[in-house]
Amino acid sequence: MTRPHHALRTGPFETVPTAAVTLAEVSKIYPGGVRALDGVSLTVDRGRFVAVMGPSGSGKSTLMHCASGLDTPTSGKVFIDGTEISSLTENRRTELRRRNVGFVFQSYNLVPSLTIADNITLPLRLAGAAADQEWMRTLAGRVGLTDRLSHRPAELSGGQQQRAAIARALIARPAVLFADEPTGALDLRTGRNVLDLLRELVNELGQTVVMVTHDPAAAAHADLVLIMADGHIVDTLTGASPTTLAHRIATVEAE
Amino acid sequence: MLRLALQTARRRVAALVAVACAMFGGAALVTGIGVIAESGLRSQMPVERLARADVVVSAPQSHQPPEDLPIGLPERNRLPVELTERLAGVPDVTAVIGDVSFPAAVLSAQGTPVTASGHGWSATRLADEPGVTGQPPTRPDELAVDAGTAAAAGVQAGDRVNAVVAGRTAQFRVTAVVTSPEPGLYFADDTAIQFTERRVDFIAIQAAPGRTDNVATAVREALGDNDLVVSTGADRGDVESPGAAAARSFLPALAGSMAGVTLLIIGFIVAGALSVSIAGQRRDLALLRAVGASPKQIRGLAAGQATLMAAPALVLGAGAGYLLADLFRGMLVGLGFLPAGLPLTVSPFPAVAALLLLLLVVQAAARGSAWRTSRLPATEAVSESRVEPRTPSKTRTYAGVLLIVAANVIAVIPLVSQTSLGANTTAIAGILATVGLGLCGPAMVRWVSSVLAAKLPARVSAPTWLAVANTNGYAMRVAGAVTTLAMAVVFTLTYTLTQTTLITAIDRDVEATGKAELHVTAPATGGLPQDALDAITTTPGVKAAAPVSTTTVLWPGSVFGQIQVESSSALILTPAAANVLDLDVRSGDLNDLTGATVAVSGDADLGSEVGFHLGDGTFVKAKVVATYGRGLGIGEVVVSRDLAIGHTTSGLDQRILIRTDDPGTVRASLASNPVLVVGEGSGLATGTGIPPELWINIVVLGVLLGYLLLGIANKLVASTAQRRAELANLRLIGATARQLRRMMRREASVICGIALVTGLVLAAVPIVLLSLGLLGQPWPAGPVWLLPLVMGVVVVIAFAAIELPTWQALRPPPVDARNHQS
Repeated sequence: MTRPHHALRTGPFETVPTAAVTLAEVSKIYPGGVRALDGVSLTVDRGRFVAVMGPSGSGKSTLMHCASGLDTPTSGKVFIDGTEISSLTENRRTELRRRNVGFVFQSYNLVPSLTIADNITLPLRLAGAAADQEWMRTLAGRVGLTDRLSHRPAELSGGQQQRAAIARALIARPAVLFADEPTGALDLRTGRNVLDLLRELVNELGQTVVMVTHDPAAAAHADLVLIMADGHIVDTLTGASPTTLAHRIATVEAE
Repeated sequence: MLRLALQTARRRVAALVAVACAMFGGAALVTGIGVIAESGLRSQMPVERLARADVVVSAPQSHQPPEDLPIGLPERNRLPVELTERLAGVPDVTAVIGDVSFPAAVLSAQGTPVTASGHGWSATRLADEPGVTGQPPTRPDELAVDAGTAAAAGVQAGDRVNAVVAGRTAQFRVTAVVTSPEPGLYFADDTAIQFTERRVDFIAIQAAPGRTDNVATAVREALGDNDLVVSTGADRGDVESPGAAAARSFLPALAGSMAGVTLLIIGFIVAGALSVSIAGQRRDLALLRAVGASPKQIRGLAAGQATLMAAPALVLGAGAGYLLADLFRGMLVGLGFLPAGLPLTVSPFPAVAALLLLLLVVQAAARGSAWRTSRLPATEAVSESRVEPRTPSKTRTYAGVLLIVAANVIAVIPLVSQTSLGANTTAIAGILATVGLGLCGPAMVRWVSSVLAAKLPARVSAPTWLAVANTNGYAMRVAGAVTTLAMAVVFTLTYTLTQTTLITAIDRDVEATGKAELHVTAPATGGLPQDALDAITTTPGVKAAAPVSTTTVLWPGSVFGQIQVESSSALILTPAAANVLDLDVRSGDLNDLTGATVAVSGDADLGSEVGFHLGDGTFVKAKVVATYGRGLGIGEVVVSRDLAIGHTTSGLDQRILIRTDDPGTVRASLASNPVLVVGEGSGLATGTGIPPELWINIVVLGVLLGYLLLGIANKLVASTAQRRAELANLRLIGATARQLRRMMRREASVICGIALVTGLVLAAVPIVLLSLGLLGQPWPAGPVWLLPLVMGVVVVIAFAAIELPTWQALRPPPVDARNHQS
């Protein structure tokens, strides 16, 4: 598979209106002086599958929180689908996230009291939009849950719950889907299925995906892999095999 | 492992506070009730008049029914005076004084009575260092008077004075003025004994210094096996004032009547607080289960941890219980239920009993709350720990429905037994029904929310939609909140309306009983002079007059099929009573109330004979000559005056009721006698002002309601605080803080709505039954504002207790919540 080289640019600030996510000189300093992100700039183009790797404390989770609008950077700018978000109020950022960002978490985070169908359409309801039943069924079919729509999360396996969470993340047709260790709670085989599903979504629907993971095998499903250490992006790899990635991470951890 | 559980508990501050408050209040209430009960059994009146008597001999002043607590006798049980002579010969005895007390008053020059208690002259030797000015009285027409009374009546030694003594008016010569701690008229010993039919109240014995114990032993021997009471030391206090000692014996009964409702509510609140606390730890417990703890260990852990959390609050609460009991004693004294001098018995026993009892409740409640989690297979325990148990168990639902049915069966009692005892089951029935609601609540909430969900319009706002979905999905949690709020409604309504309805019923009964236009009393002379009845009957304008007094009898009643002797208030009437009272006579005739006869309330065979004890303990047999319908207002039994005479302390009539067409004239004629006090109507009614019993119940209601509401608020706050993760999750999905607050408010509305409706329904059945039984109408008597007030308070508490922790939970940005969550 050929991958365009300009899919990811790191370096000086550039305005790219078409980009799904852009970070410009983003720093995040936590109370107590911990510098989790140190002047990170990156652009994620539409239709790309990007993985972020790095040892614990490297700043990969903070990067995701800032890039998705869950948290605000201490300095620098974040654009989601062309909108600068770090200056928005919490309520405005919530609305923007609801429209433009989908989330998949390690712990699925489905609402236990709702059926799978209701879970999937929940973001639309919260946005005050009509539940798009046809799109919901399409997504459910795509993630293989058509016959589970009236069940509650507790009645589903972990893999099924995570696929439901992916369908939910896509219901609002977001500009970007963030996945935080999406296979962390799943066994190897189920985890592989979930990763294949993400890959297919990128290929077939042109969905932009940013995935944080520590698992080289998971990261190998991505077009590009960013390696983070000490709040910096220290490396970018294209088409790397799990073995190469594992080796690279081991080197970073040793430094 | 216990330490681990404690560390996880530390994170759940709200739940901990709820548990601590429940324990503290519970321990304080149980200890307080225990102190009251123990004081009724063991506390003693202080020794006053008998300070200088070393040994006191008296007739038994309590009745001991088989296998039950002794019942205090309010009327003085006297001794034959001959006993004093027998005791004079006992070695080391320096003086034997046969003491009598009888009502007496001296009349001033204007005829105004000055009240003083009548005694024999030798009683002055019981007082500390009496100062005597003059000579002791020796003749039947002589008396000595204490300095205070002398000053009030304007008399001095040597004067001639009129006095009303034991109901007889006569002229006496004052031989001496003495200093004594209380108002007293002193007569020659032989004269004094005539006023009490040659019987003495008790015999006070003075012993040679240091020989008190020997004398007491010798006195016991000299008396032989008579069942007379020989007292020394603090025991003498009770002999002095049998009425006060009898009042004390009502304390255990009072404590008993408070204990039922109180224990139910404490159990409810403690169990509620613990179940919220343990629900918050379900995941920890499940994880422990997964790493190899057995179900029994899990329950033991939950119970052990709950006990550790509870212990400090329990100990503090038990301490507060003693203060509470003292406050309550002060209130009883203020209401005239207890003599001011009666101290509380302070022993560690009530605190220990309260601690043991509550620890038992804690253990049972904690094990019960951890039951389901502990019994699941380990793997399921972990996966289920994220969600609450899905379907409420059928057994639980049926048990709840059964309990509600049973409670309503109990609520029928006031319909059958129209007494205050029967009326008290109403509140118990209401509370039991609420406990039943706690069991079948989840199934009911599930059903209600399904109906709601089905009726919801398609384009309903997200918060409303989520609120209904949560109510359905978290039926167990919602039912917990509903039950506690319903409990507040049920408890307040049943408890308050029971009191007000009962009072109204009694008032109506009493009002219907009294036919008199006027009533006459003579408080200053301790009862009506013996010539008063004749004087009143012959007063122009009086159509009929009859004496009415009250006493206490020990009446054999049937409680659940068992014959039990109960202390019960009784009227003393003469045949003339039929003219002034309407007892709603069902059979027989009050005109036959002569000799050893009684009239009884309810069903009884005319002419049958009943055996019972009079107020001084004398066992008598009497023929039933009438039955009447107003038992609620005037008591279970009416005793003929012929039978009761000589068995009351004063021996005098307390009140004379008068029928007349011309009250004004009669009043004017009677005004010439300053001893008599004339009042309108029969004066029997409790009507004016709130009766003391109601105050006690209102105070108990207030304290319990405060405890209940605090418990409810704590529980709601704790269970809302535990939804932090759930709320954070919704925010990650895209819900704004504003949407979530609206969602929580909708949930609060649903909770309030269900709680108010079920509370009203559960309270309605017992209250309707009570009202039918006592008032013959389906609605109760009581303040109209009670219902809206209760509903308002419940709504305010529910909204505040949910709103505040919601704000708290939504304050940090969602990403923080996410960090804490993992």
